[in-house]
Amino acid sequence: MTVASQAAWKRYVPTESRPWDLRCVHHLHRRAGFGADWGQLQRDVKEGPDAAIDRMLGVAELVKSFDVDDSNAEPKVLTTSATDFESLQQLIGDAAVSSGDINRLKAWWFYRMLYSGDPLTERMTLMWHNHFATSNLKVANVAIMKRQNDSLRKHAMGKFGDLLRAVIKDAAMMVWLDAKANRKGKPNENLARELMELFTLGVGHYSETDVKEVARALTGWTVRDGVFEQVASYHDGGTKQILGEQGDFDGDDVLTILLKQEPLAHRIAMRLCEVFFGEDVITDDAIDELASGLRRHDLDIGWAAETILRSEAFFADDNIGNRVLDPIQFMIGPLRALEMLDPPPSTLLLAEWASKLGQDLFYPPNVFGWPGGRSWLTTRTMIGRANYVSALCQGELHRPSSPPDIEALATKHGFLTPKSRAKFVSELLLGHENESGDTEANLRRPASQLG
Amino acid sequence: MKTNRRRFLGQSSAVLLGTLPSLVSRAVVADDRALTDHDGKILVVIQMSGGNDGINTIVPYADEGYAKHRKKLRLPTDRLLKIDDSIGFHPSMRSAADLLEQGKLGIVQGVGYPNPSRSHDTSMAIWHSARVGGEDVLRSHGWLGRTMDAARNQADAPDMILVGDEPQPLAIQSRRSTAVTLSDVTDLRLRVPQSEPSAHSGAATSLTRFVEQTMQNATATANVLERNIEKETDASAKYPSTKLGQRMQTISTMVKSGFQTPIYYAIQDGYDTHAAQLPSHSRLLREFSDATKAFLDDVEASGLSDRVCVMGFSEFGRRVAENNSEGTDHGTAGPVFLAGSQVRSGLIGPTPKLTDLVDGDLRMTTDFRNVYQEVERDWLGCKQGLQTPESASSLMLFDV
Repeated sequence: MTVASQAAWKRYVPTESRPWDLRCVHHLHRRAGFGADWGQLQRDVKEGPDAAIDRMLGVAELVKSFDVDDSNAEPKVLTTSATDFESLQQLIGDAAVSSGDINRLKAWWFYRMLYSGDPLTERMTLMWHNHFATSNLKVANVAIMKRQNDSLRKHAMGKFGDLLRAVIKDAAMMVWLDAKANRKGKPNENLARELMELFTLGVGHYSETDVKEVARALTGWTVRDGVFEQVASYHDGGTKQILGEQGDFDGDDVLTILLKQEPLAHRIAMRLCEVFFGEDVITDDAIDELASGLRRHDLDIGWAAETILRSEAFFADDNIGNRVLDPIQFMIGPLRALEMLDPPPSTLLLAEWASKLGQDLFYPPNVFGWPGGRSWLTTRTMIGRANYVSALCQGELHRPSSPPDIEALATKHGFLTPKSRAKFVSELLLGHENESGDTEANLRRPASQLG
Repeated sequence: MKTNRRRFLGQSSAVLLGTLPSLVSRAVVADDRALTDHDGKILVVIQMSGGNDGINTIVPYADEGYAKHRKKLRLPTDRLLKIDDSIGFHPSMRSAADLLEQGKLGIVQGVGYPNPSRSHDTSMAIWHSARVGGEDVLRSHGWLGRTMDAARNQADAPDMILVGDEPQPLAIQSRRSTAVTLSDVTDLRLRVPQSEPSAHSGAATSLTRFVEQTMQNATATANVLERNIEKETDASAKYPSTKLGQRMQTISTMVKSGFQTPIYYAIQDGYDTHAAQLPSHSRLLREFSDATKAFLDDVEASGLSDRVCVMGFSEFGRRVAENNSEGTDHGTAGPVFLAGSQVRSGLIGPTPKLTDLVDGDLRMTTDFRNVYQEVERDWLGCKQGLQTPESASSLMLFDV
C-alpha cells in the first residue's frame, strides 16, 4: 500500500494515549459492518488492529447457515456447515426471483447482511445501491433488480470503472432512466444528465451542451425483454463534442471519457467518506488526498476502503459515535450483539421494519438516493425506531417469538454479578461501560442511534 | 392560526416536557425558521381510480341529452340534490351537498385535456405528470413531486405521504423530494409509552443534541397523537368505517398532531363501472362525500380548517351513452372537486353540453393543468413553472 502523505491517512498505530481497546473494535464493527457479538469483540481486542482489519477486509469468517422453509424461503433451521452460506443465499435469491415478490428479494438481502462472513462488502453494496439509486417502483421486475444488486456486490470493492460499466450497461438502469426513449433524432437526456451529475462528475463539472451531446452518444442503448441491448439503428453516429473531446462517440466512449475526468475520483472519495466518517471529521484536504490516491490506483475502491479503515482518522476520537446509523445498521447491530441470529429472525419482517424506518431496500426515494445523515431521524422514523427496539426486546422479530435472554448471555460470557452484567450490556451495545440500565433502556439512548 | 405545531409544542412543553424547557424552546425556534408565507397549507388529494362517471355524479338533469343517452342509468330528477335549476348531485352525495351549502365545495366542471386517452394507465399518467401526450411522452416525475422539488421544504417531515397500501403514484414521485407510504396510523403510535428522554448528556455534541431533540419531538408528537386518537374514539369525530373514511381519519390525526407534511394522498379505487353501475357508483360517491365531509368537520373542530384543502379527481369520465350492461365505458372529461373553507364554493367553469359531443364523448371545458396551476400557486404557494395551456380567464379556485 502506498503511504499517504496526509496526516489523516497515516496508518493507525496504537499508542498509550490511543490504545487499541474495546471502544476501537466496537467502532470498527459498527462503522464498517453491522456490529459484532461479544466473542468477536474480545477476539479483535486481543489480536490487535492489523488482524482485526485484515479480517474485515478479507472474507469468510465463520458463516452460519440454515435450512430453508419452503413456504416462504426464509431461513429456519441452523446447519453447521460454514460453506453453506453461498448455496443457501443463492437458493433464497433464486426463489425470490421466481416468486416475483420484491419483499422476498429484500428478505434475501437481509439474510446476506445478517449472515455474510463479509459484512464490509454488504455495506459497500448498500452504498452503491444508494449511489446508483434505482427503484423497483419503476423497474417493477425482481429479476432485473437482483441482477443489478449482484453487479453492485461483485464490483463493490473493485475498480470503479468496472462497476460503472456493469451498472450502466444493464437493464435496471436502462429502464430506470428511460434509455428506451433516447433515440437518434429525439434524444432523451435523463440518463445522460444523471450519469454525469450523480454517478460520476457532480454538478459544475460539465455543461448543458455536454448533457445534450452525451445523450446523443448514448442513443442505441436500450433494453429488450429485460436485457440490455445495443441497437445500431437507434444510434446517432454523428460527431459529438464531449468534455473537450471530439469524435463519433458511442456509449462506451462516453464511459471511457468520464472515467478519465479529474472530478470523478473526488466524488468517489466523498462517497466513501460519507460512509466511514462522522460529521465534520474529514477535511477537504484529506478528501483531495484520497482522491489523488484513487487516481493513482486506477479508481480502486478496495484500495481506498483499506486506506480509510487502517487510518488514524478512522480511529480518531472525533470519528467515534459521531454518525447517525442508517436504519439497517441500527436494526442489525443489536441482533448480532445479542446473538439473536440462531434461530434466525424473520427476514421478511426485518425488511418491513426497514421500510418503516425509512430505508426500503430496492426502493430508494428518488435518483438522489437516501439523503442519509441526520435526515434518517424524523418524528415518524424515531417512533419507528423506538417501536423496533420494543419488538426486538419482546422477541417479536422471531417466529415463534424469542426474546433475548440477556442474563444467560452475560453468564455465558462470564459476567455473574448484577454490576458486572450492567457493564457488559453497556460495553456490548455501546462500546463503553458508562451506561446503566437494561438492554431496552440502552437501545433507546441517543447513543444507540449513532455509531 | 399559522402553525399548529408551534401551538402543540407550546402545550406539550407544559404538560409533558416541563423538566426540559431549554430543549423545547430550541425546537420551537427551529420550527419558526422553517416557516414561509404559505407554511402550514395542506393539500389532501383523493384519487378516484377507474374513471368516475361524472355525468351521474354532477348530473345535468335539465340537459335533454341526459335522458336521451341514459336510459337504465338515468337518475330520477326528484331524487337528485339540486345545485341549481339544471344540475344536481347524485342522491348519495348528501354530505357533498351539505358542504356546498356551507360554502366549502368547489366543483370544477368538464375537466380534461386535449386528445384524451381512454387507457387507464396513460390517462392516469397524464393526470399524474401533467404532461399531455401519448405513451411516448416521458413521465419521470409527478406534478406534486415537482411542486415539492420547487418548494424545497426544510421541515422535519416527508414532503408527501401516501396513506394506504398501494404503490406510490407517479403524482408524488420527484427528483429529490421525499414521499413516504403510511399504511396505518399504528406506525405512528409508540408501542411502549415513553416519558421524556433523560437529559444527562450536558456536554453533548451538536449531533447528540440533535438526536435528543428529535427524540423529544417524536415522543411529544406521539403523545399528542395518542390523545387525539383517544378523543376520536369518543363519538366526537364521526368517520365512516369505509376504507377511505379510515384513511382520511389517519390524515387528520397526523395534521392535528402537528406533522408538517404539506401533501397527503389517498386512493379510492373502484370507479371502473362497466357493468351494473348504479349500486356500486352510489356506494363510491357516498364513501367519497362522507369521508370528505367527516374530514373537514374534524379539522374545523380542531381550528385548522383554513389550512386544509381536499382535491378529488379521476383519470377520465365515462362515455355519455350507457352500454348494454347497465354500465358505462371509458370517456373523457369529468368534475374535479375542491373542498375546504378557503375554496370558492359552487360550480366553476362552463358546464359541458350532452348535446354537443365529440364521437359520443363530452367536450372538455377546463384543462386540468389550469386547475393544478392554481392549486400549486394559490394554495401551496409555490411555482414549478408548470406548462399550462393558455386559459381565457383565471378559474379563481380559492377565496384567499
